[in-house]
Amino acid sequence: MAPKSMPNGTAEAPIEVVSAYAPVVGITFGNSFASIAVLTKEGLAECIANEDGERQIACAVAFQGEEMYIGNQAKHQLVKNSQNTITGFRNLLGKKFSEIPKDKATNSAPIIQHPSIPDEPAYTVKILQPAPAPLPATARTATNTPAASVVATPRSEPIPAERTFTVSEVTTIFLKSLLQSAENFLGKKVDGAVISVPAWFNNTQKDALSKAAEDAGVKVLQLLDEAGAVAVAISNQSTGLAPDRTQLIVDLGSSSLELSLLSLRQGLAYLLASSSDPTVGGDQIDAKLIKFFAKEFAKKTKTPLTVAPATDAQDKRAEAKLLLAVEHTKRTLSASPGAATCSVESLKDGLDFTGSINRMRFDLEVRAVYNQVYDKVKKLVEGAGLDLYDVDEIVYVGGSACLPGLDETLAQGFPETIFTPFTAGTIVGGGVGDPTTILARGCALQAQLLASLGDEDIEVKKAFESRSERLDVKATSKTIGVLFPEENASEGLGGQWIAMLLKETPVPSRRTVGFEVDLGESDSKKVAFEIWEVKEGIKVEKIKPPKIDLDEGEEEEEEEDIEVKEKTIEKEAVLGSILMDAHAAVKENGRWK
Amino acid sequence: MANVLQLPVVPTSLLQGWTPPTASKKSVSPLVERKLLPAGPAYLAHVRRQVHNLSFEDIDKHAEEER
Ligand SMILES: Nc1ncnc2c1ncn2[C@@H]1O[C@H](COP(=O)(O)OP(=O)(O)OP(=O)(O)O)[C@@H](O)[C@H]1O
Ligand SMILES: [Mg+2]
Repeated sequence: MAPKSMPNGTAEAPIEVVSAYAPVVGITFGNSFASIAVLTKEGLAECIANEDGERQIACAVAFQGEEMYIGNQAKHQLVKNSQNTITGFRNLLGKKFSEIPKDKATNSAPIIQHPSIPDEPAYTVKILQPAPAPLPATARTATNTPAASVVATPRSEPIPAERTFTVSEVTTIFLKSLLQSAENFLGKKVDGAVISVPAWFNNTQKDALSKAAEDAGVKVLQLLDEAGAVAVAISNQSTGLAPDRTQLIVDLGSSSLELSLLSLRQGLAYLLASSSDPTVGGDQIDAKLIKFFAKEFAKKTKTPLTVAPATDAQDKRAEAKLLLAVEHTKRTLSASPGAATCSVESLKDGLDFTGSINRMRFDLEVRAVYNQVYDKVKKLVEGAGLDLYDVDEIVYVGGSACLPGLDETLAQGFPETIFTPFTAGTIVGGGVGDPTTILARGCALQAQLLASLGDEDIEVKKAFESRSERLDVKATSKTIGVLFPEENASEGLGGQWIAMLLKETPVPSRRTVGFEVDLGESDSKKVAFEIWEVKEGIKVEKIKPPKIDLDEGEEEEEEEDIEVKEKTIEKEAVLGSILMDAHAAVKENGRWK
Repeated sequence: MANVLQLPVVPTSLLQGWTPPTASKKSVSPLVERKLLPAGPAYLAHVRRQVHNLSFEDIDKHAEEER
């Protein structure tokens, strides 16, 4: 259901409506990138670009002289001004200084203990303070009487100074700039925002984010779990998929891998299982890629270069340059099958570097990361008591999930019918399956939904709070359906089976289906069916692969069996039956229907 | 009626000599406790039904009147 099909109030629209949508936005705020989405006139959620034309806005704040940079411009400061460039603050929100591991090497401003707030992480940066303005003529003296005539002092040079920001303050600065970008785009004040949060954010972290956002002037309508944002974004698309299905969300960002297994039932969603792994992400891909290029550079120029990790100061700077450059390389690789380049001016010792890598080679380099994701996916699904064959759809989230090699790796384990944005072709060119914008789009739709509640019952509004007890539901544990008994049906359940209420469906629930029944030639026109609860499973059969003729003397390899999976249904309990006359039957070619 | 899912199946006529089975259980298997994601129009509809104590039939009637 699109927001446009959710009118609020009476059918007659007010005449002077300018825009059907409230000026609300969706924001996703990752550890490395953020994005903002709004609703277009057509009711579609779309990511907007900031003033620098970026849709993926780097979560970085840098100080240089009197200037402050935010976004990609700030990220570029990591090369020459890393000590005054702040990155990676999202993951530190709501954390105490003592909770932050100190062993991680950083290539940006170090995290320090705040000089006056106990156990508070902070950053200290060097800035230039604009010189104080000349004293105004009416400056007060200590006795509060107008001072004697003051000669205006000439404006002097800016003064070097240090400034300390808490993680929360940096977040506020950053979110304020997002808000500003959104308001510039909309041409009006933003009235509220839904911000996505990772599943591992606890209440302290959520509260810290809320506070930083409110301090930035953002009215937070809801902090929405990333899985929820996906569910909203997806339910707004017409994919042709069954409205009742099991969905796997694979979020590969920069700093972690987040997996969620969802039960989606006509738009109602809940988690069956989830997991988070901070050792897999785009950062690992970057490390492998810059190592690859550093090796190539060393080979080409005979200049040694050691990165990831780099110890030498020159190597560190080269590493920072490579890291910026591979961002482009990766995006090219995911967008097109051809080779992608990586160019860095004066990488080391004044030597320029241009290298290239094709998708095959790239996939080879990062295979370990793909495999780690695959292993985690298998663990998650198994842990939920399901099989990969029970998953109907994969949704990709996060920049690193744009890489086709990841989808190819996962595809091995899933049925051929699995629906992914790659199989659907919706991933390219910012399509509806675009993993980099899906969270912000989901949040924008949710913001619109919340804004439309207006004078709705307060109880209904409260149900969107994260601690609401309306979130608790009871759900079925077995699939229930109807069985039309058939003659000669020795196979299977003994008739035509139609699943109605899948297991893991919240109750109360209603399913209505329509289909034709073949009533045969006699005039009795009776229909009967039984209602059963069933047990579902997956049958795995191992079959020997076809024998390949081996040449004389060749060692016969131990061939692995091929697994063939098939879904199975067993009758568990009959709940009832119905026999009725088909009064409205029509005769067609001598048979009643 | 809301959301009628049209299926392409055609079950055959009543089996000769079919007798209704006696229900082996009074009710469905025990339900499980889950936590919904507070997101999207379906959740809103679910909450509205719950808050206003509406049945699916009430909702149908309502939709019918709105037309
Ligand atoms: N088109 C692309 N192809 C491949 N990798 C990409 C692409 N776009 C972005 N990335 C990479 O994805 C990562 C950023 O993804 P994303 O914005 O989802 O992370 P995040 O949400 O900020 O991080 P996290 O979820 O860890 O907090 C970076 O490593 C970036 O280099
Ligand atoms: Mg992320």
